[in-house]
Amino acid sequence: MTTVDRPTPPVRTHKAERTWVGKSIRRVEDPRFLRGRGGYIADLVLPGMLHAAVLRSPHPHARIVSIDTSRAEAAPGVHAVVTGAQAAELTDPLPDFGPNPAAHTWRCLAVDKVRYVGEGVAVVVADDRYLAEDALELIDVEYEPLPPVVDPLAALADDAPLVHEPLGSNCAYDRTFEFGDVAGDFERADVVVTDQLRWHRSGGQPLETVGAVAEHDPATGGFRVHTNSLSFTSYLFMVATALKIPANRLDIVPMPAGGSFGSKLFVTKPLVIAAMCARLTGRPVRYLEDRVDNMANCDHHGSDRHYDVRMALTRDGKITAIDIDTVDDYGAYIQFGVGHHGNALAQVVGPYTIGSVRYRVRAVLTNKNQQGAYRGFGSEVNNWMLEQMVDKAARELGMDPVEIRRRNFIRSFPHFIPTGNVYDSGDYDAVLDKTLELGRYEHWREVQEQARAEGRYIGIGLITAQERSVFSATEFWFWFDEPGAPVTSMPESVTLKVDATGAITATLYSCAFWGNSPETMVAQLVAEEFDCDPHDVSVVYQSSKNGLPATGPGGSRTTVMLAGAVEGASAKIKEKARRAAAHLLEADPDDLEWRDGGFEVRGVPEKRKTLSEIAIMLHLFKHSFDEDVESGLEESKVFDHPYTTMPSADRKDLGVFYPFMGHACHLPVVEVDVETGVVTFLDYAAVHDCGTLVNPRSLAGHIQGGTAQGIGTALYEEFVYGPDGQLQTTSYLDYPIPTSLEVPELKIGHVETPSPWTPHGIKGGGEGGRMMAPAAINAAVNDALAPLGVRITELPLTPDRIRAALRAAGHGS
Amino acid sequence: MSTREITLTVNGRRTTLSVEPRKLLVDVLREDLGLVGTHIGCEHGVCGTCTVLRDGRSIRSCTTFAVQADGADIRTVEGLAQGPELHPLQEAFWEKQGLQCGYCTPGMLMRCVEILERDPDPTPQSVREQIASNLCRCTGYATITEAVCAAAEVMRSGARAGTEVAS
Amino acid sequence: MKPAAFDYAAPTRLADAIDLLVAHADAEPRVLAGGQSLVPLMNFRLAQPGFLVDLQHVDGLSDIRLTDDELVIGAMVRQSTAEESADAAAGAPLLVEALGHVAHPPIRNSGTIGGSIAHADPSAELPAVALALDATMTAAGPGGERRIPAAEFFRGPFETALGPDEILTEVRLPRRPGGHAFVEHARTHGGFAVVAVAVDLAVDDAGTVTRAAIALSGVGPTPIRATATEQALVGTVPDAESIRSAVAATVAVLSPAGDVHGSSETKVDMARSYLRRGIELALDRAASRR
Repeated sequence: MTTVDRPTPPVRTHKAERTWVGKSIRRVEDPRFLRGRGGYIADLVLPGMLHAAVLRSPHPHARIVSIDTSRAEAAPGVHAVVTGAQAAELTDPLPDFGPNPAAHTWRCLAVDKVRYVGEGVAVVVADDRYLAEDALELIDVEYEPLPPVVDPLAALADDAPLVHEPLGSNCAYDRTFEFGDVAGDFERADVVVTDQLRWHRSGGQPLETVGAVAEHDPATGGFRVHTNSLSFTSYLFMVATALKIPANRLDIVPMPAGGSFGSKLFVTKPLVIAAMCARLTGRPVRYLEDRVDNMANCDHHGSDRHYDVRMALTRDGKITAIDIDTVDDYGAYIQFGVGHHGNALAQVVGPYTIGSVRYRVRAVLTNKNQQGAYRGFGSEVNNWMLEQMVDKAARELGMDPVEIRRRNFIRSFPHFIPTGNVYDSGDYDAVLDKTLELGRYEHWREVQEQARAEGRYIGIGLITAQERSVFSATEFWFWFDEPGAPVTSMPESVTLKVDATGAITATLYSCAFWGNSPETMVAQLVAEEFDCDPHDVSVVYQSSKNGLPATGPGGSRTTVMLAGAVEGASAKIKEKARRAAAHLLEADPDDLEWRDGGFEVRGVPEKRKTLSEIAIMLHLFKHSFDEDVESGLEESKVFDHPYTTMPSADRKDLGVFYPFMGHACHLPVVEVDVETGVVTFLDYAAVHDCGTLVNPRSLAGHIQGGTAQGIGTALYEEFVYGPDGQLQTTSYLDYPIPTSLEVPELKIGHVETPSPWTPHGIKGGGEGGRMMAPAAINAAVNDALAPLGVRITELPLTPDRIRAALRAAGHGS
Repeated sequence: MSTREITLTVNGRRTTLSVEPRKLLVDVLREDLGLVGTHIGCEHGVCGTCTVLRDGRSIRSCTTFAVQADGADIRTVEGLAQGPELHPLQEAFWEKQGLQCGYCTPGMLMRCVEILERDPDPTPQSVREQIASNLCRCTGYATITEAVCAAAEVMRSGARAGTEVAS
Repeated sequence: MKPAAFDYAAPTRLADAIDLLVAHADAEPRVLAGGQSLVPLMNFRLAQPGFLVDLQHVDGLSDIRLTDDELVIGAMVRQSTAEESADAAAGAPLLVEALGHVAHPPIRNSGTIGGSIAHADPSAELPAVALALDATMTAAGPGGERRIPAAEFFRGPFETALGPDEILTEVRLPRRPGGHAFVEHARTHGGFAVVAVAVDLAVDDAGTVTRAAIALSGVGPTPIRATATEQALVGTVPDAESIRSAVAATVAVLSPAGDVHGSSETKVDMARSYLRRGIELALDRAASRR
């Protein structure tokens, strides 16, 4: 399936010369953070504010026989103690996009039974956090332990204990999708490569945990809630329902997030707990997770997958089909449904011309903290699986990893992949060429050769993979035959105000700062439009109540969507300013052109009005203009997703849902100490193409930082549940996060293939590092161990796993 | 439980306050003194977001009781900038984008103040080794290393200029 | 993650500190040194002492003394102070090398030598050093002072020979010219050791090993001596093969408990590798100092 005749949006022409877009300016956000004045959720203190703490279950699976809170209630400084049963009276279930929410109901505290170690069973509200934690120790809970469901494959057995009895099974979702002639392609294949792969769960682990400060207004019954959870306009309606109030009685105020990496996208539980407690006590309440909450009870562990994969190829290395069967361990609840696999399906064939795909996904519920979002949202797992298969195929066919990739690259765009999603643009050869040069591929192959002769094991990993951006919500409902909705528009909005002095303020909706640079990015885009200094643009965040339609960050959509909104609002401002300038210059509006911060009569530079000259007239001297002109110079734009289409009724074509496709090539060089299984980096090159760059230094920061997280995923980080269901990694002593000495300095390169369909040709690029690094590092380690006949198919590649594999291959000591 | 009176000199200002023995230094700085630039990350000493200087040396304020700091000289991120003028480390972090979300930044800055006070001319490798004490989940550390080296250079030339003026 | 309430005192005299431990015996008192192990445990509420005796102001616990035959380090000497001490470098270079592996500088700026040894974490660095160097721990209690050899000091995980009303006041490390090495594997830099090896040995002019003391952390409930390896090395001029078999003699009897950082087998593999590296490094150093 190459270029197909399907309707696509009109191709845009992009400005050739840009002043601010593409420039590495200092971030406008930074001075306040550098001074320790970030204004995070923990810094917010309201008069009379109380503090909540949650009692976590010590059992993976147990019936709650009784809870006695009397001793806790009597403890000093305690204002309220709420059990799960009481919370179920005060609130409705939490938002859930799972397949059958009525049968796997998720609440802010456990009611009849606990389903994982760390699940909340009661909450204490006290004068401070110390006193709240004192009272937690005085709550007496009697549990009746039940057999835990830990292994997702065992959980599928008919006689397995059930995590949710009403569901009648631990399998929340099971469906096989077929795109193209899979059976035929396998029948015609010269070679079929098969493998089993295992990706263990890790998580974003931002250094700031998640929290909310809630105020209740008894006069209206409404709430004002401050939170560092990000996509608040998306979940507002659902948490209002959980709080049993009309949505227009809830105002959510965004706070900057001290890192998210996906894990603060929707964090609805802390908000509902804080609000419930505020209403109960009549006082503002802060609930802020501590680190153990954030590790054990955060609802945002990452993917946890088993794969059985078959790949069909011709003898000369052309991949024709892939057949994927995955079991994903979702934990005790399934708040986002199987959206993570929608992410995978957006780029399931990678950068390759694979013609047919079978994809079976089984979502299994177990006694673990549930999955949420983590940088990549499941597509990084697909990248890893696919690249592992390509490397295995290359090995079996005796091909070089570079050669097999070139043999299969897509080279004509737009390209519709078998699932129906589209790749808008790309130049995969250019990215690969640049990486091979930057990473000194040939040099390292020579070094590797010499090292092997000396009994040292150096490995070179090479992967070429996709980074989808700007998601559309269809991926959350194309799983079912009955569409829940038509195609989704997923808008973002911006208001631009030019005040009487000509200074510009941009207002952002459903957007908070989370380590990305929304302010800098918007300031650069505004400066590009109005020829001003981005550092002179003021950017403010609006709370939900005064908000325009907006979706919020997620799926690397913010830059493209806000660029569209800025472009649209700017056009409106310029149109009004053009008319005003024409009036003031007594010229025809059509004769005016925008030049260097103002409108001038084409060819007559002395006849011009600057934006500030126009602005002051429009603000203060409206009567100078025609009757239909209103005072002021302020415009908003609601920008809808530029390109998304319906799935077909039979789900043989899922439509376009992730059209702006970035691409990258990573080339790490590692040395494996075969005695200890320790992996160290000798070099690392990464080249990314995410269309037109807005701030190259910011993007490089995301590549370096995302790769650091990918290194964590590949080598260090894992939430380990023992066979007894106990979480064995509840602190940073057991969950190792890479320090500066575990992360090499990357050699970073950029290729810019503009998208034909977005403003300036921008694509999203914030997740790429982590979407590539695990695959690349696994490839490098396998390349290092190849002479020993060892290939590892399980992440993270801890010294323990590497040593175990070596021992199994007879390399005991 | 009874409280104890302690005296802290924080960013040059001497304060006497009454604290419960169990109150962590980070909580006294944030809650009693309103210095919320010092952050809480892991509360078990690993991540380093709570790093402050005690008598010139970096410590974890989340694993230090405030009573243990009685009589000590404490420096926090709020003490770095002089009015509108940022400290050279803050300037360099801004220039090199040594931060993304900003949450580890105050602790990282205080650790880097100590590093440069003890070695005004560190190599990039030495900086990399020394900042391993503080986790950053955003940057991957490369721009932090760059920023510290850049700040060191500015501070050395500033110190030379100061010496010349003085002599 | 906030500690439970406790009462607190910061005496200036050792006798007062001991009296406080005795007087508050019902409150399960603990001494507070640098707090870098205890305070995290209290934040997790895994430790809930009712009374803390802060030793930081107690006279005479923070000195470093170097004599002709030993290095005496006060229990309250901060790890970073010892690390930077010329006397410590001269008297016990193994200790100084090990200190570089103890967490990170901001932890070592608070953490103390005595605190780490008295905490007796089975994967900590300093207990292995104390054991390898045959250190003597001085304990003071209501009955006076006593000296406890390292071999008798470490009793189990987080368990020592100190009585509930005894305070570790100093650590005496015999000076041993020769070669030393401290090597370890931690999952990330500054993390707890999965396996750590402390080596102290001497060779004569012919290259014959005249003395060998080797201790490991992370492979048992306490640090352990690699006695079989020591015996195999002494009196020989080691080469690659003899080191290998000397190491094997110890490794053969190790049975560490597996945990989240590695199975028992992997820990044994690590111990084998790091023992060899430690011995080789110490031999190199010993040879160069001859």
